[in-house]
Amino acid sequence: MSTNTVSLPRKSWKLSLDSWAVVAALLAALLIRAGVFTRVPW
Amino acid sequence: MADAIALPQARPAQPALQFLRVVPGVLLLAAVGYAGKLLERNVGTYAKAHHWTFPNIEYVLWAILIGLAISNTVGVPQIFRSGVATYEFWLKAGIVLLGSRFLLGDVLRLGGVSLALVAMEIAVAIAFMTFLGRAFGLRPKLTSLLAVGSAVCGVSAIIATQGAIDADDEDSSFAIAAILALGALSLFTFPLIGHALHLSDHAYGLWAGLAVDNTAEATAAGALYSDAAGKLAVLAKTTRNAMIGFVVLAYAIYWASRGEAKTVGNKAAFLWQKFPKFVLGFLLISVLATYHFFTEEQTTALANLSRWAFLLTFAGVGLRTNFREMRKQGLRPFAVGAIGEVAIAVFTLALVAGAGKLFGF
Repeated sequence: MSTNTVSLPRKSWKLSLDSWAVVAALLAALLIRAGVFTRVPW
Repeated sequence: MADAIALPQARPAQPALQFLRVVPGVLLLAAVGYAGKLLERNVGTYAKAHHWTFPNIEYVLWAILIGLAISNTVGVPQIFRSGVATYEFWLKAGIVLLGSRFLLGDVLRLGGVSLALVAMEIAVAIAFMTFLGRAFGLRPKLTSLLAVGSAVCGVSAIIATQGAIDADDEDSSFAIAAILALGALSLFTFPLIGHALHLSDHAYGLWAGLAVDNTAEATAAGALYSDAAGKLAVLAKTTRNAMIGFVVLAYAIYWASRGEAKTVGNKAAFLWQKFPKFVLGFLLISVLATYHFFTEEQTTALANLSRWAFLLTFAGVGLRTNFREMRKQGLRPFAVGAIGEVAIAVFTLALVAGAGKLFGF
C-alpha cells in the first residue's frame, strides 16, 4: 500500500477562481447597496 | 546617429498581463451574448411584422447557438481563448448574485428537498456508472472519473478527482469530453422533454439541476425553460455542487486503500479545499436579502446583474463546445456516459415526480 500522503498546496494568498467570483459579486452588491449604481438595466 | 542605449525593459506586472490577456475573450463573450439578446428582441418582432410563424427563441438559446456556430466553423482564435475561459467566473459570480432572489426560508426548504434528492441521485449515479464502466471494459480510473462527473458536477468534479486519485491526463480528458458532449445535448433535449411532459417550472428546474452535469449547462437548460425554472435549476445544482468534497474524498480514500493513490492526510482541510466557495457567497447574499439589507430596487439591480453574468456564461458554453474535438476522444467513454446519463435523467425525473406529489409542486 502506498504510504504517500496527499499534501495540500502550501497556504498562499492567491485566491481561487471560485473565491474571486465571490469577492467580485459581493463587491458589486456592496456598490449597489451604497448607491454607487442605482439601476442595472436589462 | 548615436547607438541606442538598451535600457532594461520594465517587466509588466503579472496580474496586469493576465488581465490584458482575458480582455479580448471577455469582449467576445459580451458581443455574442448581446447579439443573442438583440436577436431575441428583433427576430420575433420582424417575424410578427411579416406574419411569419417563427418560434420565440430566447436570448439564452441564441447566445449558445451563435457561440456554437463560431466554435464549430471558423473556430475561436487563440487571442480570445483565455477570455472565453472566464465564463466559469461569470457563472459563479452570477450564482452568488442570484442569491438575492431567494429568501433564506426558501433556500432552506427547497435546499432541504434538493439535498435529499441529491443524496439519492449521487448514490444511484455512482453505482450505475461504475457498473456500466465495468460492463464496457473501461479503465477503472476512467470509470471513477465518469461516475463523479455524472453524479456531482461535471468538469470541476472530474478535475478535482483526477488530482485526488492520481488518474492519467488521458482518462481525465476522455471523461471531460464525454460530459461536455452530453451537456451540450441536454441543452436541446431537456426543454423539449419538459414541455412534452408539461412539467411545472418548479419540477423542471429541480430535474435540470439534478440531472444535467455541468453547472453552466444546468443553468442554461433551466433558463431555456423559464426564468423561474432557471432559478430552481441553479439552487438544485448548487446543492449538488456542495457535495463535491465528500464524493472526491470517498474516491481518494478508496483508491488509496488499493494502493493506487496517495492517502489523504488532513480530511477537514481536504474537504474545505474542494468545497465550492460560491455556495457560501450565494447563501450570504440570500441572508442579506432576507434581512432587508437591500431595498426592492437594489434587489432588482442585483438580479439584473446576475442575468448579465449568465449571459456571458451562455455565450461561453457555445464558444467552448467543439464537436470535432469531442469526436476525437473515442466512442466508448461517450457511450458509457450517454447510457448512464439517460438512466440518471429517467431516475431523477421519477424522483422529482415523487417529490412533487409529496410536497405539492
